[in-house]
Amino acid sequence: MSRWSYFLRRLVLSIPVILFGTTIVFMLVRLGPIDPAAAIVGMGNPQGIERIREQLGLTQPLWQQYIDFMINMFTLDLGQSWVIQPGRDAYSLVASYAPRTIWLGFWSVVIALFIGIPLGFYAGLNPNTGGDYFASFGGIVWRAMPNFWLAILLVSVLVQSQDLLFGFNWSNWLVTTDILSPPNLRFLSTPLEAITNPIDWWVSTGANGSFLAALKQIAPAAIVLGSASMGNEMRIGRTAILETINSDYVETARAKGVSGRSLIWKHVFRNALIPLVPIITGEAFLLVGGSVLVETVFAINGIGYLFYQAALNADLPLLGALMFIFILITVFTNILQDLLYTLIDPRVGYESE
Amino acid sequence: MSETQSDEEVPLRDRIAANPRPALQWLAGALVLLAVEFGAFIGVIIQLALTAVRLLPSNPGAAALASAGEAAESIPTLLTRGLIPNQGYQTASGEWMGTFLGLEPAYAWLLRVVLIYAYAFVWLGWFWVGYRWFRKHYRYADWTPRDDVVDRLRSHRWGQFGFVLVLAFFVLALFAPALGPTTVDANIQSPYTHYTKYYDDEIESVSNVTVGTANLGSTSQGAGGENVGPWSYDDYGRFHPFGTLTDGKDLFTFMAAGARISLMIGLVSLLIAGFIATALAMLTAYYKGLADLAAVITSDSIQSLPVLLVLILASAVFGNTWIANLYNGAVLLIAIFSVTYWPFFWRALRGPALQISEQEWIDAAKSFGQKPRTIMQKHMFPYVVGYLLIYASLTLGGIIIAVAGLSYLGLGITPPTPEWGRAISAGQPYVATASWHISLIPGIMITLIVVGFNALGDGIRDALDPQSEGGEDTGGEAAVAGGGGA
Repeated sequence: MSRWSYFLRRLVLSIPVILFGTTIVFMLVRLGPIDPAAAIVGMGNPQGIERIREQLGLTQPLWQQYIDFMINMFTLDLGQSWVIQPGRDAYSLVASYAPRTIWLGFWSVVIALFIGIPLGFYAGLNPNTGGDYFASFGGIVWRAMPNFWLAILLVSVLVQSQDLLFGFNWSNWLVTTDILSPPNLRFLSTPLEAITNPIDWWVSTGANGSFLAALKQIAPAAIVLGSASMGNEMRIGRTAILETINSDYVETARAKGVSGRSLIWKHVFRNALIPLVPIITGEAFLLVGGSVLVETVFAINGIGYLFYQAALNADLPLLGALMFIFILITVFTNILQDLLYTLIDPRVGYESE
Repeated sequence: MSETQSDEEVPLRDRIAANPRPALQWLAGALVLLAVEFGAFIGVIIQLALTAVRLLPSNPGAAALASAGEAAESIPTLLTRGLIPNQGYQTASGEWMGTFLGLEPAYAWLLRVVLIYAYAFVWLGWFWVGYRWFRKHYRYADWTPRDDVVDRLRSHRWGQFGFVLVLAFFVLALFAPALGPTTVDANIQSPYTHYTKYYDDEIESVSNVTVGTANLGSTSQGAGGENVGPWSYDDYGRFHPFGTLTDGKDLFTFMAAGARISLMIGLVSLLIAGFIATALAMLTAYYKGLADLAAVITSDSIQSLPVLLVLILASAVFGNTWIANLYNGAVLLIAIFSVTYWPFFWRALRGPALQISEQEWIDAAKSFGQKPRTIMQKHMFPYVVGYLLIYASLTLGGIIIAVAGLSYLGLGITPPTPEWGRAISAGQPYVATASWHISLIPGIMITLIVVGFNALGDGIRDALDPQSEGGEDTGGEAAVAGGGGA
């Protein structure tokens, strides 16, 4: 099977996956014991419940509801919130909560990449030295810490940084920011000002916020959310380097007289990156789940927080819509992963099956 | 494993009958070991049966089991709080009354803990002796591939480190009632129906007070005198190895009981998920084609749902219903973990199972006319089961984290049943104060245990398959080990 038809096959397979995943969500949301009408008007109002049922279409037979639900989801009609903000479109809710989560997710991937991979490569290039053991063991412990616990620790340390870190004050460092507050991302809506009004856009702490302030606010949460991936990237990076450095083609290149620097960058480094691809894309999965806990601890009102609130208040349609979005994100990241693999590694498609 | 020489092979039973001495010796040793802890052993079994019975609709025989449990408590047992008590009071002259040999409660408790762990390690050693004797006296082959696996594990320091951590955790969970300085029932569930004695300086005599009242006087809330830290006594002469919770309950007792429920959830859901995955892996590897495709789609769909979010969703949807109250909510968690984790296992088993199904001996068995079921059980399963162990070890840590994360959010296991995440949540405001222990100790323990499970998983993988080193499926492995992002 050529690699592109392998990729095509994966693409086609993702359709039933989305269908089936959405069906599971429907079953969880609609077949569960919660009566959405009662959740809206309260138990003591039977006529009200009956009327709401009528309005929501809950009196229709189940298969009809199922078909409606699926059609709505697949035409991207995500419906409305019933309980949290009654009558508000799921779209507009997501649109107002999502940017902070995306900002958080983006930085947690980037920070994890820029710390994890270099550390892993360092450990792999200096195997069995003190530095390697320190980095490897640190990575293992770092990965094992529960995210929410790490977040609690970090918050406490930062809040009391004046006392705990020898007078270093986190909230006044560089720019003044609060620790337990969502980042202000309004500056992103005026990207042109990055050039026309650079000081305000990059550094200042005005009403629109700035790049630096938003980055500083999100950094602790991003480090926590990326901690597991950081550990994984380190570990895989280390083994990948060790495997490549001992492989025949590196041996050959060395025998041929390729200089050390070129050997590392051209022959070792590039090949060692291949096994890291699924780790990086697999992060999307961890981020979606982990965002609930991390956003709760750091008081960031993002998608994870919205989902948690919706679950607590039994806002079923919003829950369904959010789950559908999460399914789409996961499936498309998987497709992206396959695409990257297909582009990077010509061997894909031949060995599987 | 292999039955190639079936015509000359004598069944193990006959081999033991021919030379019964080592087997009898081993059995006698095991019986002695069992006898000293027989009461606790029966207690655990009755507890398990009781838990299972309470899940059934009409509680058949629950009362009989409960009375049997009470009877089991009166069986003399070596390592109990009854025999080595650590609860007592200190008279004005500084003497301790009511503790083991008049020792200070801390040392009485420590003695019990050391003895329990020593007991567990003696058992472990006895099993090792049993294995060696089996190899020496009863096994035909001088060498089997399993021996290499064991040898590799014996020289794998990192895996052994993990094994010790995991064993310490298992012992903590298994001996939870005897390890705690006090009991869950007296200290956590119903403190106002239990009494504790203490020496009252004002009236200069011993007084009785409910545990609940004593708890109110030994809270840990950070500021000033309101703190009972690790390895200290409260005003009522009670010893707290890990300090107290914000409401004055003993943290160590809480942790030990929480370990029990976490481990229970983890093990049962692993068993179910492992069973589904193995059965499916056999079927898909044997029949291939459409069966495989259907399993791929199903597992991909389930894997596309983030585990933690499904847990939150299900806790919300099924909250306050009968199913959420079964075994304090653990049954619901077990169900969700089983359903969401089998695809990870199946993914891990699929490759090896497919490889095995291509082997010649499978072809041979088919043409020989063996039933598919027999082929799968006898000729495929033994080669695949090792991979299950690797993933089981990695997943257990993830499940413990996920359960803790869920109870941190206030979902999952219903209070007042102890769960580690709830301690972390309770201690959150006090992390940087004198009461740091409430949040930090549970977190450190989770980290240690997850490190232990990961190390053990690494050890088993390297022992089973020394060439693998990482493998390709590390993405899924990582997701599992991280508890789906909790």
